[in-house]
Amino acid sequence: MSRMSSEELGTRLIAYIEGDVALEDDPIDLDTDLLLSGLVDSMGVIMVVNWMSDELGIAIDAVDVVLENFQSVRDMVSYAQRRDAVAAD
Amino acid sequence: MTVSDDPRSPRSSRVSLLSDLTDLARLRTVVADVGDLAITDGDRSLTHAAFTEAVARSAGTLVAAGIGPGERVAVHLHKGVASFVAVHAVLRAGGVMVPLDPLAPPAHANRVLQDAGATVVITDTAASKLGALLGGTRAEVALVTGRARAVLDEPPSEVPVRVVDWDAGADGELLPAPVVRDPDDPAYMIYTSGSTGRPKGIVHTHRSGLAYASSAAAAYELGPDDRLVNIASLHFDQSTFELYAAPLVGASVVVVPDAVLRFPASIAALVAETGATVWYSVPYVLRQLTARGALDRHDLSSLRWVLFGGENYPPSELAALMRLLPGARFSNVYGPAEVNQCTFHHLDDPPPDDALVPIGRPWAGTDVVVVDEELAPVEAGAPGELLVRTPTMMSGYWDRPDLTAAGIVTLPGDPDAGRWYRTGDLVVDDDAGRLVFLGRIDHQVKVRGQRVELEAVEAALLDVEGIHECGVVATGEGGDVELIAVVVADEDLDEVTVRRSIARRLPAAAVPAEVRRVASIPHTSSGKVDRTAIMDQMKAGEDRL
Repeated sequence: MSRMSSEELGTRLIAYIEGDVALEDDPIDLDTDLLLSGLVDSMGVIMVVNWMSDELGIAIDAVDVVLENFQSVRDMVSYAQRRDAVAAD
Repeated sequence: MTVSDDPRSPRSSRVSLLSDLTDLARLRTVVADVGDLAITDGDRSLTHAAFTEAVARSAGTLVAAGIGPGERVAVHLHKGVASFVAVHAVLRAGGVMVPLDPLAPPAHANRVLQDAGATVVITDTAASKLGALLGGTRAEVALVTGRARAVLDEPPSEVPVRVVDWDAGADGELLPAPVVRDPDDPAYMIYTSGSTGRPKGIVHTHRSGLAYASSAAAAYELGPDDRLVNIASLHFDQSTFELYAAPLVGASVVVVPDAVLRFPASIAALVAETGATVWYSVPYVLRQLTARGALDRHDLSSLRWVLFGGENYPPSELAALMRLLPGARFSNVYGPAEVNQCTFHHLDDPPPDDALVPIGRPWAGTDVVVVDEELAPVEAGAPGELLVRTPTMMSGYWDRPDLTAAGIVTLPGDPDAGRWYRTGDLVVDDDAGRLVFLGRIDHQVKVRGQRVELEAVEAALLDVEGIHECGVVATGEGGDVELIAVVVADEDLDEVTVRRSIARRLPAAAVPAEVRRVASIPHTSSGKVDRTAIMDQMKAGEDRL
């Protein structure tokens, strides 16, 4: 099975967060700060972590679930790249 | 009266010279070494000297902006060094500090602003939200920082406020002396959800705030070497511990910013890096820290005391955390925001699995009594409502003499005619003379330690287009309480739409975790929503929207 591209992961993450996670219906993009407002709360972070584990088939270590890796969709994609879970750009 | 700078003056007498909170920030430079850390949020750090100066300059900005003594000044800032500076600047300038939840929808903050009649707002909200925040309020001046500074170039046309650059205060004039206040003047207000959906403001005076700070510093043996972790937001009364008790003894504060708070492993890293010594939060945050904080790889052994309160801590999970932090003392603390804090229970050993952790005994200077519906003391060992009499008690609810009269009572036949606060909490005195929390006498619940009135959630649901009838119940126990809404609603209404509508009006804790569709809502014979019947219905199972 071919790996998801990082572009595809970004698009799917945005759709998932907009559709199921965000507590506001404003559109988001790769660089939206998801944590500055009430857009994604602590439950939302858990939802996103679980979604990424399921979609990418990787176990996300608790020590990696930190602000730096989840502040924006771009941060999440680059984390997935570092984990070699999606193709690099 | 202000703090003496005389180094020969013994420390205790200097503290006792304080009669209000206006000069509290500067006390740090008197009771601790000026070059030591006063506060850090991981990003920015200030020494005691720098913090005191920042407070004095920001207070100067407030006075220059025209605030007068007793005016309500709303602090609508994300948590960090800057928010702590702002709080003390408001107090120093003689204002009444009204913290707003920066993560709550603007409509919620707007209702609080209206109720408080705040004339000045310090905000870092997105510029696009300023209209919704300030519309219809008495706000005359908006002091903007962070994202809100975008309006400096383009003032909002929809709200007639004067916009002032809050950041410019960093280079502004110092306010050399605090604006003198009477100890019985209001110092700050904490807003909580009222049962009708109208928020109610708990007014603390300089006297009650200072009494709390002194009691907390004494009870937890705080000193200049302590570093207090600030988890609670400013609008949540637990933050008064770090805001007021820390400067009283020259302890420093490690502020966990709002964004970091969503990541237990980031919190653990911050505590480890800063060598924090005292922690105070709701059990929810500690449970998250235990489950997802990667505590096996972060050294939190600097913590000497872990305080928790606001809801029951599941004993088995508490025991697990106590085993992970064997060097720390653990205490369950209790007290509605109306009295700050009033009881504590120190745990020497992990609690047994099958018993609730007691809320303990009252701390020094505080009296408690357990009463029945006629306010008569119950027999020993019988459950009843907890009443509290303490110098840390609020003066009343803002602009609500009806609520104040219902909440603060004198007891029949009490010769001192003392003022007792009715907590609304059901407790029982266990056979060891400790109080155990049993539940509420009304429909208030705690979700992740935050107060939620079920009626207020129902009122918000009824405003959602397509919902015709509704009821809200709380399920789960201890730290796992979730709200479930049952609704009679139009066919095309979906759950995400409902949750977002509520999230636009009420704080996150009040947003139902599930919304279920029912054919009708059961009512009691008196016409009220029948929550027991709803719980029974749910066991039978209905469809989620």
